[in-house]
Amino acid sequence: MSITDLTSMTMPEKENKARIKKMLTKLQEDIPEFCFQCGKCTSGCEAMKLLELEPHKIMSMSKLGFIDELINSDIIWTCITCYKCKERCPQRVAPVEVLYSIKNIAIASGKQVPGEYSNILQSVLVSGLIQAVKEVRTRDLEAKNRDQLGLPPAPAPKDPAKFQQVLMKAATETLG
Amino acid sequence: MAENNRTNDTELLRVGFFLGCVIPTEQYAYELSLRKLMPRLGVELVDLEGFSCCGAPLRSINQNLCKYLSIRNLAICSMAGVDILAPCPICHLALTEAKNLMTSQETSEESERYKTMLAEEGLEYKREITIYHTIDILHDVIGLDKIKENIVKPLGEVEFACHYGCHTIRPTDTGRPDSAEHPEKLENLLKLLGASSRTYPERLNCCGGPLILNLPDSALTKTGQKLKAVQDRGFAGLVDVCPWGHRLLDTRQKNAADTIGEKLDVPVFYLTQLIGLALGIKPEELGLNLNLSPINRIEALNLGGDKVPAAANEPMPGETTEITADTEHQGCD
Repeated sequence: MSITDLTSMTMPEKENKARIKKMLTKLQEDIPEFCFQCGKCTSGCEAMKLLELEPHKIMSMSKLGFIDELINSDIIWTCITCYKCKERCPQRVAPVEVLYSIKNIAIASGKQVPGEYSNILQSVLVSGLIQAVKEVRTRDLEAKNRDQLGLPPAPAPKDPAKFQQVLMKAATETLG
Repeated sequence: MAENNRTNDTELLRVGFFLGCVIPTEQYAYELSLRKLMPRLGVELVDLEGFSCCGAPLRSINQNLCKYLSIRNLAICSMAGVDILAPCPICHLALTEAKNLMTSQETSEESERYKTMLAEEGLEYKREITIYHTIDILHDVIGLDKIKENIVKPLGEVEFACHYGCHTIRPTDTGRPDSAEHPEKLENLLKLLGASSRTYPERLNCCGGPLILNLPDSALTKTGQKLKAVQDRGFAGLVDVCPWGHRLLDTRQKNAADTIGEKLDVPVFYLTQLIGLALGIKPEELGLNLNLSPINRIEALNLGGDKVPAAANEPMPGETTEITADTEHQGCD
């Protein structure tokens, strides 16, 4: 749904808002309370023109507790994580960080994982890297792998089973 | 600095070579050029066992996971007694944030939790280490003078557009290799090589890199827009320092062109490839045969040959080989 639809909805959610606030405070991030809607974040947002992301509106909605709408939206996944908002915010509020927390809650509450995120998570759990080692093509259309280029084997965890075990625990542990 | 950093007189530094994910699985030119370049300038790259993803691509899924992944890679280096070189800016940012978390008094409770998790993997966060990126290790550690004395083949009068990317310069609070609003280290390095550069309005524009994971057409649109601006401003080529950027700007330039419906012919290089050329290292040893953008257009670089692949590189995960400009718009509706 578009941001206009989102902002025309009402019914703040105190519980979810408190969860986000706690999550952000625990992660030592700055909370939406301090945003005074200067709009610097949206002016610099790299996803604004192309994908209609307006970070200052996301901050306002977070402040007022409209978390459920955000969790269920596509808009939160349009953030390119360029960090211009965090850089330029005069109140050190960081919409990019608030968005990460909202996305985390969306996933934790069972929302469908968009795009390639499931695959890269799976890949990291199994091999330690987000994707398999690829064979690439040169300018002359020759196929080359790491070995043929004289490169050592790609990095990997020493004990993959232990690695996966610890990661699974980290993934399922909530931050309170 | 960690204790095992200075080994002999000719060597400046030993660093753990942390490649992240994209470099060791597909952006081989960056790795090749670094492996050739760094020893020449007195930096020994140490390959350590056990490295994994830094966690940054998983931040949107679970930040806890992301932080642990970064911390474990720092722990591996600290156990080997070396600092770390992270040529990927996204890794560099994640690792720096992890280091700040482990160091700060405010997050001491969190860091204890992570130390417990490290112990389960048989790892230990022994001490604080310095985290370098390509830009600062070249510009600030090795230094411009040392690079200059090693130049044997200045690049000639070629004007490049510098693309810092996003994560090399933001957010300032975390501590980054160059300035957020007025970075200049890339331009300084290029000038040293005999080439030139100038600022341009789109210099700090994003290439769309991380968006490739869930909105590939939008990512390629950002890439196409950046390249079109560089092309329209009359630069001979573009220089980058990030594998997430290069994999779109160079490797998938044709896809970007198709996505925005424009003709794009922008030669794109990793900074380390250009420095390598100026130091007299052979093009093949710098992985220049892996650059898919029209790098041969720059006559002054004498790269010879005229073969440009007719087809785009392998498709991104989840995409078909054909990218058309009128692909359904993805995003909010």
